[in-house]
Amino acid sequence: MATAPKNLSEPLLQLYRINAGSCNGCDVELATTATVASFDVERIGCSYTESPAEADIVLVTGPLTVRVREKVLRAYGEVPEPKITVAVGVCPISGGVFRDSYAVDGPVDRYLPVDVNVPGCPPRPQAILAGIEEAVLLWRARRDGVLPPPVASQPHPEKGAVSTGVRGKMDFNPAACVGCRMCEHVCAGGAIRFNEEFTGLRFTLWHNSCVFCGLCRHYCPTGALTVTDEWQLAHRQDQKYHLTTQGIMPYAPCSGCGELLLPVAPELLRVAFRGTGREIDRLKSLCTECRQKQSIGGRRR
Amino acid sequence: MTPSIITLGPHQLALEEPMYFKVELEGDTVVGLDVMAGHVHRGMEHLVMKRNLYQNITLLERLCSLCSNSHPSTFCTAVEDIAGIVVPERAEYLRAIADEIKRISSHLFNCAIMAHIIGQGALFKNVMQIREIMQETKEAIYGNRMDLAANCIGGVRYELTPELSMYLGQRMELMKAPLDELYRIYTTDPAIRVRTEGLGVLPRQEAKDYAVVGPVARGSGIAYDVRKKSPYGAYDRLNFLVATETSGDVRARASVRLREAQESVSLIEQCLTRMPDGKSCADILPEIPAGETIAKSEAPRGELIYYLSTDGSDMPARLKWRVPSYMNWDALKVMLKGERVTDIPLIVNSIDPCISCTDR
Ligand code: SF4
Ligand code: SF4
Repeated sequence: MATAPKNLSEPLLQLYRINAGSCNGCDVELATTATVASFDVERIGCSYTESPAEADIVLVTGPLTVRVREKVLRAYGEVPEPKITVAVGVCPISGGVFRDSYAVDGPVDRYLPVDVNVPGCPPRPQAILAGIEEAVLLWRARRDGVLPPPVASQPHPEKGAVSTGVRGKMDFNPAACVGCRMCEHVCAGGAIRFNEEFTGLRFTLWHNSCVFCGLCRHYCPTGALTVTDEWQLAHRQDQKYHLTTQGIMPYAPCSGCGELLLPVAPELLRVAFRGTGREIDRLKSLCTECRQKQSIGGRRR
Repeated sequence: MTPSIITLGPHQLALEEPMYFKVELEGDTVVGLDVMAGHVHRGMEHLVMKRNLYQNITLLERLCSLCSNSHPSTFCTAVEDIAGIVVPERAEYLRAIADEIKRISSHLFNCAIMAHIIGQGALFKNVMQIREIMQETKEAIYGNRMDLAANCIGGVRYELTPELSMYLGQRMELMKAPLDELYRIYTTDPAIRVRTEGLGVLPRQEAKDYAVVGPVARGSGIAYDVRKKSPYGAYDRLNFLVATETSGDVRARASVRLREAQESVSLIEQCLTRMPDGKSCADILPEIPAGETIAKSEAPRGELIYYLSTDGSDMPARLKWRVPSYMNWDALKVMLKGERVTDIPLIVNSIDPCISCTDR
């Protein structure tokens, strides 16, 4: 992502916050970008305003509750054009953990045009700043009537930089997955989906629904899921549905009857048995029925 | 004089959350108050019953992010109670550490906003800067600055390696002098005293009548703290004082919070020295039978009660809360009566209202 260095000839852009029913996590982190020196938005050419009429950039938090919707839309309407809207946290982007509630009417882009998304729950201030920097670039391009600069193909060097222990984007290793779907079961945001396809079982993780809680990793029996410290995920709206991690676990034919099955991952065997021998290796390429037949000699029901 | 009615919203009240008040005024004196609630209503009672017990650990952590650890830890305690799971002793200490870390951050945030409302911009930034020590600590140990993801059914899902324990100890050492200094400033600085003493008084009897909890109760002389009255987890093995004040005003509540933050530092240090080795989580996938129970804890804002009923499946049959801000914000009626309209934000902030907990 390109950066918006502070340009002294440009006036400070005014940021206006709208809380659309958040758990206050994102809002408390936004407060640090107004008060803590190292995260100060003034360093990237912005400052906060309490008045929508003065604002250039709108920061929305929360999943857009039914009760607050009209107030949000009214405040948004008071912000003059050209304005750029940033969805801060997964709540406004996808509903986050609050999706599917009668009381939640988001995602926010159903009602107003969003330009930049900052995933995270809550995103760390550095990620919020990266999102605001992107918004500044888009705002200037819109004001000047030019196309926004293209997104750099490489992530910004110091932005994705390792900082010890940060719970960032999840990673997935299809070779270790046994398709037990425990991760899908425990995920509060509904970020993980399995699809049975012709050639194999497809795993998809939507980072715009993920709250980086790591519960899937905790309950995954084989360690197929890992937490990375990649936290710089702010992106433009046209990338919203591209932010996924996928994997395919190919089916293999049963060495007995030829029926397609999901092979056992070595990671699961390691969890289940202290060591694997030739016998286990032979049995693992068989479907349940053939395995039963070959190991205990025929069907016993 | 005929009373007039005005509506105050989050921007006038210096609140992070959308909360609206209808205030009845005579001149510039408050005579009546009506809270317009529900803006952060996300249908949580409905949502928790659509999610299984595992998903609820993560969902409940987002009920409110200032007391975000209290929710999953109290919820897991309820599940463990129903299932008869004995949490390893090490996990009890690790839970207490997470709770106390969150308490310090939460109390400091409230004190920071108080400085902001009084117009003490430098102090506001100073408190937020001190709070950053806690924020960085949380990120280094748990991976996130707000939501710790520390709990699971049967214990915790984080470890304090010897290096991390040492780091945490050093960070606590770093907090001591600033916390002492803040306590001194908030209780003795003339500019703060003049704005906070005698303001928004909740007398002891009214505090009882309204059943307020947490620092609001303790600021009015009621030494009620769940960690002492009905100890849970590791708290029966830890030494701490329940901070109380008797004046029931804005100053008293701030003073209680700052002393509690100091006590929390000591609690964390005690945990670090007493915590035994061993497992940090019992069986990873326990059976949860049918049953019902109540679990409670002392969240930063006061007593938090969970009611949980299960039916033998891994979906909760019913889950209900009583959150501290519910009673505390009702008592605002007493605290605000007769005060000037300009003091409303300061008094409202002094109960540290959590709207996302209360509206759910
Ligand atoms: S994204 Fe997460 S932290 Fe932010 S408001 Fe939503 S639940 Fe809270
Ligand atoms: S970390 Fe895993 S369980 Fe948690 S929200 Fe993301 S995908 Fe779901």
